[in-house]
Amino acid sequence: MPSHRMPSEADIISTVEFNHTGELLATGDKGGRVVIFQREPESKNAPHSQGEYDVYSTFQSHEPEFDYLKSLEIEEKINKIKWLPQQNAAHSLLSTNDKTIKLWKITERDKRPEGYNLKDEEGKLKDLSTVTSLQVPVLKPMDLMVEVSPRRVFANGHTYHINSISVNSDCETYMSADDLRINLWHLAITDRSFNIVDIKPANMEDLTEVITASEFHPHHCNLFVYSSSKGSLRLCDMRAAALCDKHSKLFEEPEDPSNRSFFSEIISSVSDVKFSHSGRYMLTRDYLTVKVWDLNMEARPIETYQVHDYLRSKLCSLYENDCIFDKFECAWNGSDSVIMTGAYNNFFRMFDRNTKRDVTLEASRESSKPRAVLKPRRVCVGGKRRRDDISVDSLDFTKKILHTAWHPAENIIAIAATNNLYIFQDKVNSEMH
Amino acid sequence: MLGKGGKRKFDEHEDGLEGKIVSPSDGPSKVSYTLQRQTIFNISLMKLYNHRPLTEPSLQKTVLINNMLRRIQEELKQEGSLRPVFPTSSQPADSLSDSYREAPAALSHPASPSAHPCDLGSTTPLEACLTPASLLEDDDDTFCTSPAMPPAAPARVSPPALPPEKDSFSSALDEIEELCPTSTSTEATTVAATDSPKGDSSESSLQKPEGLQEGRPDDAKLMDSLPGNFEITTSTGFLTDLTLDDILFADIDTSMYDFDPCTSTSGTASKMAPVSADDLLKTLAPYSSQPVAPSQPFKMDLTELDHIMEVLVGS
Repeated sequence: MPSHRMPSEADIISTVEFNHTGELLATGDKGGRVVIFQREPESKNAPHSQGEYDVYSTFQSHEPEFDYLKSLEIEEKINKIKWLPQQNAAHSLLSTNDKTIKLWKITERDKRPEGYNLKDEEGKLKDLSTVTSLQVPVLKPMDLMVEVSPRRVFANGHTYHINSISVNSDCETYMSADDLRINLWHLAITDRSFNIVDIKPANMEDLTEVITASEFHPHHCNLFVYSSSKGSLRLCDMRAAALCDKHSKLFEEPEDPSNRSFFSEIISSVSDVKFSHSGRYMLTRDYLTVKVWDLNMEARPIETYQVHDYLRSKLCSLYENDCIFDKFECAWNGSDSVIMTGAYNNFFRMFDRNTKRDVTLEASRESSKPRAVLKPRRVCVGGKRRRDDISVDSLDFTKKILHTAWHPAENIIAIAATNNLYIFQDKVNSEMH
Repeated sequence: MLGKGGKRKFDEHEDGLEGKIVSPSDGPSKVSYTLQRQTIFNISLMKLYNHRPLTEPSLQKTVLINNMLRRIQEELKQEGSLRPVFPTSSQPADSLSDSYREAPAALSHPASPSAHPCDLGSTTPLEACLTPASLLEDDDDTFCTSPAMPPAAPARVSPPALPPEKDSFSSALDEIEELCPTSTSTEATTVAATDSPKGDSSESSLQKPEGLQEGRPDDAKLMDSLPGNFEITTSTGFLTDLTLDDILFADIDTSMYDFDPCTSTSGTASKMAPVSADDLLKTLAPYSSQPVAPSQPFKMDLTELDHIMEVLVGS
């Protein structure tokens, strides 16, 4: 849904998340807004095409604040959105900025009661002398109204910036991770959280590593993983101790000496970690690669895919312009057989784990008309440049795809390209935006 | 309290670097590696200085940059033998500088202190220093030339000082200054040095050409102002490890950087007020000629302020 306004900073999409059925898709932006898209029912005129996603509701989740104690601004930017499993007709989601997590309830209303005995249409009490007979109030249809209401505000739990939230499979608790700590919350209790990981050294001078992402295991409510800026993954078991400072498993790949450079540590920093739907594997993204880890093998990832290895010779520039600190996310498809992650120049990459094939696709308004088929793109490194190839030097590093999401069951993906959201579907090679 | 020895070390590494770069016996890859390292070092320093005011810098980024600086510093420490020794006004009794002094026997790259960094900029073809180190890009001229001095550099160097030893650093400071435009004050650098821990970003950019012209003792103070700036710009304390121990100075009173119970639990930036007030007083003490008076009322409130902070942010 490319916006046709001039892109402003506040419009930049900062997170994308499908709900558990894939019927709803939520985006958060730097302006603190949450936009929810709903998939339209399949159209009779075009039965081959799956329903498109239309705007369902928009609301302001977070407002800019000022921390007077620290004299610092607290940005309204939505860092993460997580949907809660649907318990009733209403939908619920958690949204967070750097400091505060909020629980929102989204409800629909398409009927209103009419014909009360004691109240008129506006709700005012009728003059009782005019009430001569009793009637049964009836529900009359009305235009669909989507109501979003804040249910809980989980504040004051974090000193540092929240980078992840994850709802537990027990559906009662969730965790929130910042740079140095992970807290466990009950969804109904806002004034108390339990600190389950704390890597803050007694002396901040000794700090060399931070938490970059964290997630609960999809099936085992006692397990969670967190990634670090040194490229390691720590699997923790909450049954072992209340404070999981000692990991159960440490997943770490030995550094390849041939690729050692000044930037080795920075590019090994994990920007995202996702359990597979099966719960057997973990997917991590670092600056140049995506890796698949088997929970049963800590020594090294079972698969490593190069996202944009041609940038390896550009790291110094990318360090200078801060791009090297970009936090790319990664996603599994519904069957855990394909993984997807973003890159620069509005490119995103898909890797088929079975066939080992990979493809580079572009999300751009210029190249994608509704229902057009995406053409694979190729970045050429050396001199042998084919038609339509793009050279490394002409990549646009301001157009980065950091946030992507894959429909939980179908081949529908949502790609956030700065202020545009692209939704592509594989079904009949149709594509829309 | 002044870390002259530390400052000297910093200069040393600059000096050794320049020496290595212009040394004809060096292979191109060594030259480019050193140049690249210096460039990355400069970029890293500037990154720590330069972030949006009023916003908390990303801790992850700060930690990664700091680790980078530590790593380079570690390398420099190991290559300490490469660095020439030159006389300084004070010889602090820290073991690090001792090891530096003993090391030169192992010199493998005789430094040429007379070589001026400007020569580097003008005589070293960009390609020569870029291509061998595949990590240096050919598409970024400004980046590549950043270690080279601005034309004004020679004029700034005072005769008694060894010209090359601080130029690259002073250019880095210049760049920093450009990045954080502020009204340049002509106060003595001591003021900049002592004021900087206060958290005043405009003070932190007081390192100015005038200061550099004042010769070595003042330079020492100038260098000393760096850690304070680190402290401020990053809003975290962990950098002091880097700055205190190795790069800049060794014999400064580190107590000012210690976390007190209230600040260490209350997050990165909240400690700025009480700690910096302490810093201010402590660092001002030796310079009684400097305007201490304005800060005196401040002192009265210190314990009270500490207490308030403790109550407010203690968690």
